[in-house]
Amino acid sequence: MKTPLIILKASIMATCIFWTILFSRNFESEMVPFIIVSFIPISICCGLTIMLTIYPFFKLKKDVESSMNIFKKYFPFYAIFSFGLCLYGSITIPDIICFFASAFFTTMQTWVWFGKVKGTTN
Amino acid sequence: MKKLSLFTGALLFSTLFYKQNIGLNLTLFSLTTILILGIYNPIAFKKKRTIAFCILYIITAISIFFYKSTLSIVANCVAFFTLIGHVSQYNSSIYINWINGLYTFIAGFFHRNFSVIENEQKVKPNKTIDYVHWTKIIGIPMVVVIVFISLYKNGNPVFSNLISKIDFGFLNFQWILLSALGYYLLYNISTPIAVNPATEIDLKTGNILKNSSKFSIENSKKENQLGVILISLLNLLIIIFLITDFTYLLSSNDLRASIFSNQVHSGINALIASIVMAIIIILYFFRGNLNFYRNNKTLKNLSYLWIILNIILVINTSVKDYQYIYYFGLTYKRIGVLIYLLLTIVGLITTSIKVMKIKNFWYLLRVNTHTAFTILIVCSVVNWDKHITFYNINYAQSMDFRYLNNLSNNNTFLLKHYCDYLEFKGKNNRLVNKKYNNYIKELNDRNWQELSYDNFKLDSEK
Repeated sequence: MKTPLIILKASIMATCIFWTILFSRNFESEMVPFIIVSFIPISICCGLTIMLTIYPFFKLKKDVESSMNIFKKYFPFYAIFSFGLCLYGSITIPDIICFFASAFFTTMQTWVWFGKVKGTTN
Repeated sequence: MKKLSLFTGALLFSTLFYKQNIGLNLTLFSLTTILILGIYNPIAFKKKRTIAFCILYIITAISIFFYKSTLSIVANCVAFFTLIGHVSQYNSSIYINWINGLYTFIAGFFHRNFSVIENEQKVKPNKTIDYVHWTKIIGIPMVVVIVFISLYKNGNPVFSNLISKIDFGFLNFQWILLSALGYYLLYNISTPIAVNPATEIDLKTGNILKNSSKFSIENSKKENQLGVILISLLNLLIIIFLITDFTYLLSSNDLRASIFSNQVHSGINALIASIVMAIIIILYFFRGNLNFYRNNKTLKNLSYLWIILNIILVINTSVKDYQYIYYFGLTYKRIGVLIYLLLTIVGLITTSIKVMKIKNFWYLLRVNTHTAFTILIVCSVVNWDKHITFYNINYAQSMDFRYLNNLSNNNTFLLKHYCDYLEFKGKNNRLVNKKYNNYIKELNDRNWQELSYDNFKLDSEK
């Protein structure tokens, strides 16, 4: 799977989680068009996060190790760090818990998608 | 059976925590997690250490029910991660247990999801989920049952009454999402995961330092000389510091809180710097070959002396802290200082054992993290607010009433008792009564999920 496709999948996943949590609090039909609009900033956030924090692990180490080994070696610490950041964010600004929850679950799943890739990642 | 336990646990999770504060719910959740861990990992629960960690976890869970303090909640979380980490790998160090426990709790699902993908690449899956079949066996009976309920409702007023009494008001989308989160968390912990290569490295690393092949007598001799000079000077310095400190302590009659506070806090700062440096310097000199150098006895003796002098420094600061407490009462900071001093003594003793028995750095880390964990658990079962209040009212030479009043509700009944039987000043009486009334209101407003021991105490008093 190519990296842009992973970013697209991650963006869709993040949008779904974000709006599911948001709608669970307060659902108004007028908000539905914003789902499509929000896909743009969510994609930018996802793209940047993936390219800056996940992709380098697979890009820099791919010659030496397989994707599976990279996943097993670095994912646990990334998950713990990411969880810590998101938990801190959720406690500090509880109003945007949907953002932190979607960020956490999307980055976790993106690691699985990258780890699944055989051979090159781009 | 296993899946059913997860599903039930998930429903219980949202029932316990949906729009509720901490109380009985966290205690019950702790017991649920133990049950699920036990169902999924029966072999682990035959081991004595697992049972011991389980008991510690239950103790912290019960202390939440009794005191509901932040410390007991923190201790409960740490005990939880320790237990899960221990189930993932029985022989790993406690800090590795924490990493494994935390990782399993937050990302176990994704790790296992990845492992499934990895296995799929090796062997073909032999089982696929028949979604149509599952939809049929859940959906069709549900629709039929709903149709029949609506039919029977019209035919029998008693049945109609019974059905109308069932209240699904608590069920909403947020509740369902919380159930999903509960399922995710319980699924994560059901099969604990060991983080590798951290766990593998930990298992391979022993506590004993080994002699390296690059042993050079000349280099060891030079390093030994440097160590002897440096630690001698540091010993001399700490002796002078202790003499001046004792002189000041014996000659000073000034009992002002600010002076005591400054002395204890500056003493603590000096201690932190001194002990961290002491341990780093000792670790540096005894990191390798110097342990096996034949003429290292002087350096070893100087190191022991330095450790003893540091322990005297700790005792000196403890005396200051005790005096501070005696004159001005207990506070969390003053108790914290005593706990820090206790940890420091343990750290110094383990450092001397490291030098004496040629142990490595990992030995220090293992023993000291274990000690810190034990002290955390012990501290979590103490009702500190009640003890602080009791001591300050009965034994302290002076008392800061506002401080006692600002403590958590764990001291409310005790304050009320003193308010009724001792004569506090009018303003203090008002403050205590206000705190008591607010707390009683809070207790009465609690749902069953938020109950604590004080609710039962209140009921028995009525």
